[in-house]
Amino acid sequence: MDLTNTLISTGLARKMDDAIRRYPADRKRSAAMPLLHSWQEEFGFIGDEGVRWIAEKLDLQPINILELVTFYPMFRQAPASKKHIRVCRTLSCAMAGSYEVMEKACAAAGIVRHRDENGMHNPISVSTDGKYSIEFVECLASCGTAPVCMVQDELIENVEPGAVSALLTNHQSLISHHQPPPHPLEHRLIFKNIGRADWTPDIDCYLRNGGYEQLRNAVKMSRTEIVNEVKTSGLRGRGGAGFPCGVKWSFIKPDEKKPVYLICNADESEPGTFKDRYIIHEDPHQLIEGILISCFALNAKTGYIYIRGEFPEGAQILERAIEEARENNFLGQNMLGTGFDVEIYIHRGAGAYICGEETGLIESLEGKRAYPRIKPPYFPAVLGLYMCPTIVNNVETLCHVKHIVDMGGANYARLGRPNNTGTRIVCVSGDVQRPGYFEIEVGAVTLGQLIYDMAGGPRYGRNVKAVIPGGSSAKVLRADERFKLKLKQPDGTMAEQDVSLFEIPMDFDSLAAAGSMAGSGGVIVLDDTRDMVWTLNNINEFYAHESCGQCTPCREGSLWMKKITDRMLLGGGVVQDPDTLKTVADNIAGRTICAFGEACAWPTQSFVEKFKNEFNQRSQKPAPPAMPPEYMPGELIDHDKIRTAPLPRNPGWEETATAGTI
Amino acid sequence: MSEQVLAPPQLVNVQINGVWHQFPKGTRVIEACEQAGSYVPRYCYHKKLSSPGNCRMCLIEMGLPKMGPDRKPELGEDGKPVINWMPRPQISCAQDVSEGMGVRTDSPLAQECRKGVMEFLLINHPLDCPICDQAGECRLQEFSVEYGNAESRFLENKVKKPKNIDLGPRVTLDDERCILCSRCIRFCQEIVHDDVLGFIDRGSHSVLTAHPGKRLENNYSLNTVDICPVGALTSSDFRFQMRVWFLKETKSFCTSCATGCNTIIGTREDMIYRQTPRENNAVNSSWMCDYGRLNFGYLQSDKRLLQPEILSGDKRIAAEWNVAITQAAVQLKHFAGWEIAILASGRMTNEELWLTSQLAKVLGIDLIDIVPRTGPTDDILFSADRNPNTNGARVLGVTSVPGTRLRDIADGIVAGRVKALIALGENPIDIGLTIAQLKMLPALVVMNILTDDATQAATVLLPSFGFAEKRGSMINGKGRLQRLNRAVRGPGQARDDWEILRDFIQACSDRNGIYSIEDVFRQMSESIPQFAGLSLSKIGDLGVQVLNMEAIP
Repeated sequence: MDLTNTLISTGLARKMDDAIRRYPADRKRSAAMPLLHSWQEEFGFIGDEGVRWIAEKLDLQPINILELVTFYPMFRQAPASKKHIRVCRTLSCAMAGSYEVMEKACAAAGIVRHRDENGMHNPISVSTDGKYSIEFVECLASCGTAPVCMVQDELIENVEPGAVSALLTNHQSLISHHQPPPHPLEHRLIFKNIGRADWTPDIDCYLRNGGYEQLRNAVKMSRTEIVNEVKTSGLRGRGGAGFPCGVKWSFIKPDEKKPVYLICNADESEPGTFKDRYIIHEDPHQLIEGILISCFALNAKTGYIYIRGEFPEGAQILERAIEEARENNFLGQNMLGTGFDVEIYIHRGAGAYICGEETGLIESLEGKRAYPRIKPPYFPAVLGLYMCPTIVNNVETLCHVKHIVDMGGANYARLGRPNNTGTRIVCVSGDVQRPGYFEIEVGAVTLGQLIYDMAGGPRYGRNVKAVIPGGSSAKVLRADERFKLKLKQPDGTMAEQDVSLFEIPMDFDSLAAAGSMAGSGGVIVLDDTRDMVWTLNNINEFYAHESCGQCTPCREGSLWMKKITDRMLLGGGVVQDPDTLKTVADNIAGRTICAFGEACAWPTQSFVEKFKNEFNQRSQKPAPPAMPPEYMPGELIDHDKIRTAPLPRNPGWEETATAGTI
Repeated sequence: MSEQVLAPPQLVNVQINGVWHQFPKGTRVIEACEQAGSYVPRYCYHKKLSSPGNCRMCLIEMGLPKMGPDRKPELGEDGKPVINWMPRPQISCAQDVSEGMGVRTDSPLAQECRKGVMEFLLINHPLDCPICDQAGECRLQEFSVEYGNAESRFLENKVKKPKNIDLGPRVTLDDERCILCSRCIRFCQEIVHDDVLGFIDRGSHSVLTAHPGKRLENNYSLNTVDICPVGALTSSDFRFQMRVWFLKETKSFCTSCATGCNTIIGTREDMIYRQTPRENNAVNSSWMCDYGRLNFGYLQSDKRLLQPEILSGDKRIAAEWNVAITQAAVQLKHFAGWEIAILASGRMTNEELWLTSQLAKVLGIDLIDIVPRTGPTDDILFSADRNPNTNGARVLGVTSVPGTRLRDIADGIVAGRVKALIALGENPIDIGLTIAQLKMLPALVVMNILTDDATQAATVLLPSFGFAEKRGSMINGKGRLQRLNRAVRGPGQARDDWEILRDFIQACSDRNGIYSIEDVFRQMSESIPQFAGLSLSKIGDLGVQVLNMEAIP
């Protein structure tokens, strides 16, 4: 298309060609998202011209690109402004005042926001002078410093609703990442260097501190040895499902003929979780080393880091780290003289939570809408990226691999508890005095110690009302609940014990036994000022927005649940609403293609069950509020252009019939 | 066609709703259930397309044999494997049966799943069945009767989506009715290789669309309407024309090219409203092209010939049938066989071609051929041979290489050697003759269905039937004998072609003895080895392979 070729600067063209080269030659489609990012960076938005140009560039049809532009919220089809502000509206930020931030920012910038009730994405509003634009976005993965927003590509933490006008003018000064030194209950392994004053993310600093030694050690081991060490370590995935990493790895046949891919899932987006962000930003080489060891162990010559689109700086840091590692021959051709060629590429997401689901991520990496695949048959270890065997691991999980090589699987397994080994990073946000991240030995700290000792407990004069222990999809637990758990006794035996919420050890099995899950390690604390209908509504809005829309129960149910809680908040709750909410959630969980079904159903199921009174109080109306009819009959005829005139066809029967010849 | 000798398929034992059945390995669970008499409702699954598993309507309970410590299935009291039921429901559309598998299609859990999915599909679906073309053949309607609730619990506003969108020249989309099953998208990608449809936006707001720069205009677009389980995709041609429950359905096949896609013709009161493809895996799978599908309008056009006519002096006048036929015979009797040519058609049925060859024999005519019609093939269904029955014409000896004798016919007429022409379903102008040359002919007997230049020049005009108005057989391009059935009555005084030809032969020879089209077929089967032992009724709905095309050079 000569029209646009003139618009494409040589810099942009080179950037796009580079992006295309990062994927196999017959898989150009994978470059669709990088190209869309580049286009938007250059032109501010992706209009129809961009859609057509990129489609042609990648030998695709325009619809293939249009599908992406409209699926991923970060891609805009209309221009925003020079200063685009994205305010996080998800739970921890909303609790910390992000709605107030939005209101004040709009007032300061002269923006009138129209809430499009029937729209899909949170709409972008532009100020009358065109200088500012603003939108709500879903979780920016910085819940510990809530409320947060992004101004252009920069994250602004701890935004003071009273001081938002500063956002519009000079925002640099607002950055305030002050993490206190590690708490005595912590065991820092992965986060050893996070927050250190003398630590920088460059390779020199990393090498000075023993960096890449474990990679050097690993390449001297056989592949099976490494996989066995990981198996022995008992490492469970830190992304949410807690699947044993070594077992996952052993699905890859040692004599696999097809190429094997390793994907690092850096799409951290479960509300309440903000650990991978710090690894990527502050200790990128730890991640790269973990990926390289894993690639070597799995004979994966290509690794992709799928990093969420809201981490633009993180993506740059990782790009730089990869280049630094290449300069030192830790990756590239003949890595460390082993004869093993390995490449790692960054692939940026664009604001879709579902890309955290591994098969959704793979589809997205293939340049498609992130529709999770059905399993069976599409288990990633068999039919993953490009239908090749693929391992998808979380950022933190891959970092642990480095430490397992360092310590040996057996030693590593001594950390934590049986079947819940190692350390893990727990993120605490919400109604606590010192929100933040804490690396603990799995199960060595109770929820009570975590909330009261480490995170400082609730604010003065408040009490903990409920805790969501593993990211917003985990079932909520009430502060006054009692749980029956099998716990290790002082004499070493296991016995069932009746415990309070705060006595639950922070590990996979205990939280599962308590009816929730450790999930991604995002602990959200709710104090006694919180309205549970409001809280659930906030969570429901997140999941209704993030449902990919592929399969029926989640697509229809997530929005339905949100509409019910919306109505309850507006005072229109009817008697049957709590029951409807529960049964709608029941009809989603376990019936969908991917675990998103559970993720969106569990909050509703648990909130309605555990805070019955609050939900019943909001559901007092005997009948629903009157609603206008959707279409009047005349409107329908109009809409469908129904012809009312008789048919024009006349085959001549009538004439012959009257002539008596039939 | 030589049947390949296949090894007997490996069978596996599957328990469906408590009863053990055997199925060939590779059978989809959903198909196995259907074969066992337990139909599992589905929206996204289509056996000719890939399985995305997105509608979740076919959720069932599934189990695999419980393995003992020796890795062998544990056997129950009945000697059959004990089944370990999975706690979560499974979709039945994406998995094949396996040895010892158990399926429950009607358990409380399976019923609850269906009910749940039905409710979800309906909450945002408009209640516009009274004006929806799909009503009457809508899976959403049917399954909601079976599995839905009478009352809605949905108290919110429905999601509004675009309506009445022209996706292309022949397909209209109503996004509010769409249940996002993606059948149409997959059809375009997998069958037509024209990636033109897609979903835009996300979640409950997802809508089907085509990019404005590339519309749904491929020659197979109307198949998306057939496979759309709801009223989202409608045929712009059929839209709002007729309620489907009024349609009489006649099994037939398409005569627009040599493929002969099997069809159902939907008619009411002698009016054709639509043609839809009928599954025949030896011919057209489940599809047909738009061109063939919509190629019936001419049958009801006002150009139809409705009345036999003869030339009286220099004026053409309407005539009774017996007068017209006699007139034709009288005109031809003036000439020797070598002075007469027959322009036959590859669109004629075998029966008509057989009678044509008999007519030629009676009149001693040697100069006979059909008009070939060719064009580019699309390598899907549309054949390069646009005549539906070239093979029939070959088998019945009306032509050997179609078109090779047309030159002789035309030259003969121009040179005056040929003095009489019988044009059957073809326009002599198409072989290079001019209207003036035709008008010079002392005898021009034309049998056709639409008026054209040649019919104007005819000395005897015999109006006949179109493909949907008659019975008969044809041999498609792959050598399969197929049967046309009458869907509508012919218009006016037009008559069935075979009857006209029979009467013509009678008038020329005083021979008699054919009373029905079955008689014609019997005669044919007695002389033509390919038809030996066959009859019209034996052809059946799916046809019979009669030629081995690989053996024909």
